[in-house]
Amino acid sequence: MSKFKNQIILLVRQWFLSEDLSLDGQLTRRGLVKILGLIFFLLAPILMLPKIAFGRKKIKKKKKKFTGEPPGPTPKWGMVIDLDKCTGCGGCVAACMAENNIPISRDGELYFGTQIYWMELLDPQQKVGPELKQAGLIPLPCMQCEDPPCVKVCPVGATMIDEEGIVAQIYDRCIGCRFCMQACPYSRRYFNWAEPYWPETYKNYINPNVSLRPRGVVEKCSFCFQRIRNVREIAELLNQPIKDEQVQRLPACAEVCPARAITFGDLNNPESLVSKLSQSPRAFQLLHAEGTKPKVTYLTKTTGGLSRNE
Amino acid sequence: MSDLKSKILPKLWRFDLKTIFLMAFFLLLFLLGIFAFLVEQKYGLLVTGMRTIGLGGSAWGVYIVFDIYFVGISFAGIVTSALIRLFNLKILKPLARMAELLAVISLLISTFCIFADVGRPLHALVYLPLFARPMSPFFGDFTLIAGAYFFASAIYLWLAGRSDAAYCASQNLPFRWFYKIWACGYKGTAAEQTRHYKTSFWMALAILPLLVTAHSTLGFIFGIQGGRPGWFSDLQAPEFVVMAGVSGVGMLIIIAAILRKWLGLEEEIKLEAFKWLGNFLWVLTATYIYFMIIDDLTSFYASPKIDTLVALRTLFGPYGGLYWTTVSSLFAAFGILFLQFAFNKWSIGLTVIAGFLVNVAAILKRFIIIVPSQVFGTLLPYPQGFYKPTWVEISIIIGTGAFGIFLYVLFLKIFPIVPLEEITIEKEKILEPGPRSFFRKLAFSSVFLTGILICVITFLSSARFGTKPYLDPIIPFSPLLFIVGIFITFFSAAVYEIVPSVKKSDL
Repeated sequence: MSKFKNQIILLVRQWFLSEDLSLDGQLTRRGLVKILGLIFFLLAPILMLPKIAFGRKKIKKKKKKFTGEPPGPTPKWGMVIDLDKCTGCGGCVAACMAENNIPISRDGELYFGTQIYWMELLDPQQKVGPELKQAGLIPLPCMQCEDPPCVKVCPVGATMIDEEGIVAQIYDRCIGCRFCMQACPYSRRYFNWAEPYWPETYKNYINPNVSLRPRGVVEKCSFCFQRIRNVREIAELLNQPIKDEQVQRLPACAEVCPARAITFGDLNNPESLVSKLSQSPRAFQLLHAEGTKPKVTYLTKTTGGLSRNE
Repeated sequence: MSDLKSKILPKLWRFDLKTIFLMAFFLLLFLLGIFAFLVEQKYGLLVTGMRTIGLGGSAWGVYIVFDIYFVGISFAGIVTSALIRLFNLKILKPLARMAELLAVISLLISTFCIFADVGRPLHALVYLPLFARPMSPFFGDFTLIAGAYFFASAIYLWLAGRSDAAYCASQNLPFRWFYKIWACGYKGTAAEQTRHYKTSFWMALAILPLLVTAHSTLGFIFGIQGGRPGWFSDLQAPEFVVMAGVSGVGMLIIIAAILRKWLGLEEEIKLEAFKWLGNFLWVLTATYIYFMIIDDLTSFYASPKIDTLVALRTLFGPYGGLYWTTVSSLFAAFGILFLQFAFNKWSIGLTVIAGFLVNVAAILKRFIIIVPSQVFGTLLPYPQGFYKPTWVEISIIIGTGAFGIFLYVLFLKIFPIVPLEEITIEKEKILEPGPRSFFRKLAFSSVFLTGILICVITFLSSARFGTKPYLDPIIPFSPLLFIVGIFITFFSAAVYEIVPSVKKSDL
């Protein structure tokens, strides 16, 4: 051990004393540089600390050239579905499946209770559940609640409500505990019970703007967030606020609806069509008594108001 | 006393044919469970009977039922040993270690059920310690039960077993290092016994509220879901606490009776012990029946239509058989125990039957709580369906239970299941401070306060009060650190006990 120690001392002496000290014992320039270099080398980790601690924020600031935030106030997206116009054709369901890469079957076979419908047609005439005074079918997207119970219960924060009021699911974070499915009073959340499967011919039609969900995560309607983002980026490039006409038929379900029963838009803007329609005397919200404040409003002449206390 | 030692010690490390056969059988069942788990990982949860709510399925099934059941039976372990310490119940003392072991093992296997249940277990293994948020009732399940409750029980078991470990280390047994590590330098001096008496008293006092909190958080998973008729109830949390007690005490009665017969402990585990447990059980069962009747009355009388519908379908629908089996087993167990109490004639066989009945009721009742609310309880008129577990789910559950029994039998063979050494210290001598008490107190309080501090900081870091509910913890791995904090807090008891009285140089 002492041999090792002696060797180290020898090495250090050699390193410093050979050239770094001039003949009269003064430190040479070379020696000074060496010592300063050593000091900097030792201090570097300490100097790096603030960079490590606050580095993320700085990176964010640098990227703030293009944020996808167009001028104008932050919108609050909402939807109005006119049940008196709805013909029950199912076009919205098909369009939603195509747009959002919803698998058609599970492992090539249809299993009971494993299908995924971000948009579904509910048949109130089934007479098995609670009764509903509505004659036709009811298109059911995610209600995008303002006070969503699903966000509260997620143990890992895999679901969140963004500034524009869209309740989003973060597939990478989801652990698949299915607590959100229990919490949703509308049962609008779906679990990937098996690997998603598309027939070979369908694989060319997969939408590159929407991520594919792996097995074991929960998914739900996103109000076609990818389309909103698209509109937002264009508006920012043109430096114009988003116009109501641009978004009225924005989501896939609204775009294809032949009866134009589905209207989309900004609820914060009192001039938007969706705001005006949601003030209509025909307007009602599903399960309003649950207090989740859904942002999807239905219009119908027959009083619907499917509430729990009816 | 020496009689007990001569009964227990020769049986340690003696694996006779019967034991080997028994252990191999349970290990085989465990392997079946592993196989089923691998099948589930290969094909996804499609191989289970669970399906999407709203398409007529039930998104939670027997995994959650048994998770709650296993956590429930751990109740008995802690409550019994805490009651023994707090009220100095001498009759139950031989049962203390059985109960503590039951708690530790059942908590361990309850986590298996959770991992079988989640869609992505590996993600859960990383993301729960990294991101878990107190706003979700699962936080309680993950931190308080898998963390706090488990460590508290384990530390309790360890400290209470130190004297026996020291005795075993002095005997001619294999793996002496194991006993030596367990004993941690226990000498059996009066000061050590005093300290053990003190710590076990305070730990018992600390564990009881923790236990009520932990079982209540389990109840909250269901009780605070406004969107699920049949679940949304104030009674859910107290019901879960009481049901945990019912099933746990029942299981303890069964285990005590089996071990009494198997190890020939007729003299140590007296009929009085069963009498005590039986009385405790009938009181708990009566309380549970009372809760259940109130719950059912409320859902029938003037509740929202859908709640009544769920209740009706639970009672007379496809799960009606299970419901009435639950009710009749609870009443039968209560009747058996109460009649024994009323006529003061106790039989171990009858008490064990009652214990078995309440465990059947506990499993079925959890099923009745969890499943019908999902398949019938949709607030919108969705099609209704039916849930029944598949072979994969049943195999995993059987495997999990078998693993628990395997661990229990293994423990029986390596450690005395009945405390060999009694604490002989009298209550008057307890206040006597031992040598080096200042250093001990300092070490204890610094560890204790560090633990509490870590708990508070990490809880606040992951709760993030006043911000949006989905934000990640400020400090990474806060939930894990929270569990570590709880562990350190409880470990302070061990520090208090273990710091030696005499300096090493004096020896």
